[in-house]
Amino acid sequence: MTIGHHAMIDQWYPVALASQLPPEGRTTQLMGTAIRVLPGDPVRVVTGDGRDLRVTLRYGHVWTSLGEPSKDLFDIPEADQPGRRLVEVGVVRVRCSPLRAVENFLDIAHFPFVHTDILGAEPHTEVGKYDVEIREKEDEVWATKVQFYQPQAAKSATGGITTDYMYRVPAPTSTVLYKTCPARPGEWDVITLFVQPLTEELCDVWPWMALFDDETALTDLIHFQQMIFLQDRSILENQIPRLLPLDPGREIPTRADLTSVAYRRWLKRHQFTYGAQLVAQ
Amino acid sequence: MPVVTLRDWIPVALSADLPAATVIPAHTPSGILALWRSANGELATLADRCPHRGMRLSYGFVRGEALSCIYHGWSYGQNGQCRRIPAHPDLTPPAAIKAASYPTEERNGVIWIALGEPKAPPPALEGFKPLRSITLEVDAKLISATGDVRTRLAGVDVLLLIVGISGSETVAHLMVDAAATESDCVTVSRAAEGWRRECEQLGVKELAS
Amino acid sequence: MILYDYILSPDAYKVRLMAALTGLKLELWAVDMHPGREHQSEPLLALNPAGSIPILVDGDLILTESAAMLVYLAKLAAPEWLGENDAADAARIQQWLSFSRRLTDHLGGARATEMLVEPGDLPSLQRAGTVDLREVEAALAERRIVGQCFLAADRATIADIACFPYVALAPDGGLSLDPYPSIRLWMRAIRMLPGFIEMPGIHRLHELKPEPVSDMPETV
Repeated sequence: MTIGHHAMIDQWYPVALASQLPPEGRTTQLMGTAIRVLPGDPVRVVTGDGRDLRVTLRYGHVWTSLGEPSKDLFDIPEADQPGRRLVEVGVVRVRCSPLRAVENFLDIAHFPFVHTDILGAEPHTEVGKYDVEIREKEDEVWATKVQFYQPQAAKSATGGITTDYMYRVPAPTSTVLYKTCPARPGEWDVITLFVQPLTEELCDVWPWMALFDDETALTDLIHFQQMIFLQDRSILENQIPRLLPLDPGREIPTRADLTSVAYRRWLKRHQFTYGAQLVAQ
Repeated sequence: MPVVTLRDWIPVALSADLPAATVIPAHTPSGILALWRSANGELATLADRCPHRGMRLSYGFVRGEALSCIYHGWSYGQNGQCRRIPAHPDLTPPAAIKAASYPTEERNGVIWIALGEPKAPPPALEGFKPLRSITLEVDAKLISATGDVRTRLAGVDVLLLIVGISGSETVAHLMVDAAATESDCVTVSRAAEGWRRECEQLGVKELAS
Repeated sequence: MILYDYILSPDAYKVRLMAALTGLKLELWAVDMHPGREHQSEPLLALNPAGSIPILVDGDLILTESAAMLVYLAKLAAPEWLGENDAADAARIQQWLSFSRRLTDHLGGARATEMLVEPGDLPSLQRAGTVDLREVEAALAERRIVGQCFLAADRATIADIACFPYVALAPDGGLSLDPYPSIRLWMRAIRMLPGFIEMPGIHRLHELKPEPVSDMPETV
């Protein structure tokens, strides 16, 4: 492991659904290190050589770190708001860089082509201007005032609407999406993507949601999100190179990609380079 | 068996496997390329990587005279120049957004790609007609070298256009005697499966030795 | 008619696809297979002791094999999907319906292991899956020699629907479809059928829809 990866060693990562831990535990890996997630009170995470790692349980998942996180796991205040349904979507393995998985989640321009007739549809392909910033105090990437036309924005949506979004990246492989809540105007639905980096080119993705929706069956909510992510998976596994290029020039962004540009810049600034390609080849 | 190494042109597909308005991945010793035919029948080959986000263009779609990326719908002309970015419908894409393109020729039912600037057209292969392309999980060096091989399969004259892709992948485009009947063709197609198993056994033996 | 369904199950998709192609209405009952393992719960085991999905229930009839469901839907709504009755064609259909079980075991097994992190011997599932894909490719290459593009007749039949999903989703299990030109054309022919629906991992054929008209002059 190179020096540049130290910054990411000290981050928190999801490694299991707390509710789904089998009695024998979950054997997995984190950034190339074999680990086991063991059920119990407290839940433990141990490395192959017997080291106990720090553990925190939050947002339905078991989180751990190979290093010494300097701060607690990021906060999602909406998670504690009364009336929300917390939805555990499960795990999907993707042969891609964990950073590519996050970047794809921050992108709206692909909706008409990858999530056709659900999150987007031609001819409504235009991405309007939106605001992007790196918030210095929180040290997070934020995109706000994002709007896009969606034929079926959520499981509970019955027709097309212009949907508002905000995107937030509080950690290098975790991202939170706030979007128009069809059931409760004025509130935001929260949809997250928590990514467990197994290696630089392989990840387990754990989507999770906190929604205002009393109508839709829980299973339908889970399946809607699984469907959306599985549509992305075939894209993510066929991007070249597998690693996310951080140097400009290898890929060409446009105005629609400003969130991605800010995310890449933020990763580079913090030396969050596990899963990144630094020198164009 | 005489072996002629194909230097300038690489056979990558049979014409019948690329109908109008489709795109396929063309495997070459220098990597995978996106080979497509427009609605009007024009052939083109582009680098298999959208300059925007690196998505493979061979997963894309062909509308009219343009190849579009499946990811964000960016579309490219035969010369690789980006023509349209759906996220910005009113923008004329800058000239810098361009995928590399390669000379592509079709002759006697076979599609050829050149990585350089060949002076002569690809061979006509007269007396043969295309049958099918198969991929073998074996190093081409164990079968022959890359090149064309005249032989007989199930008693029928065949010409094998063999392209070594990597140490574990070889593509063979199978041509049969132009006079072969439908029934001959079915027999040769079945025999080709056996030929592949035989070749792959050579690879297994090589690994074991 | 109730289909106990899972959006990511290729076997359940076969039944949804067949219904869409023949205009039949199904009542879908979503089963939380992953992560909830609801298919192993008592109410569903009572319908299908094997604990697999899909399950099709129509009155007293309970079907737990997708191939049988395809036969049932076709007989009910669209007998032309059963193919011709000549001995060879009838046998060919049965051959592919049985063969589709191999696809479920091998390509489906590789997919569950590689994508849904289920236990499995991925290399051996992939080796077996490659043998299956080559068999489909060889069969389709022969069909093309005699001017056909579907597996068992001069039109799409339940044989094609039974084999299509796992073949199309082979990349989910780490098996590229690049080496199979005849499979590629066959998948395209199926995706072009009127009424075709997708499942996650099988994208829309965007080329079937014209490019949106732009007010801007064409730039080349």
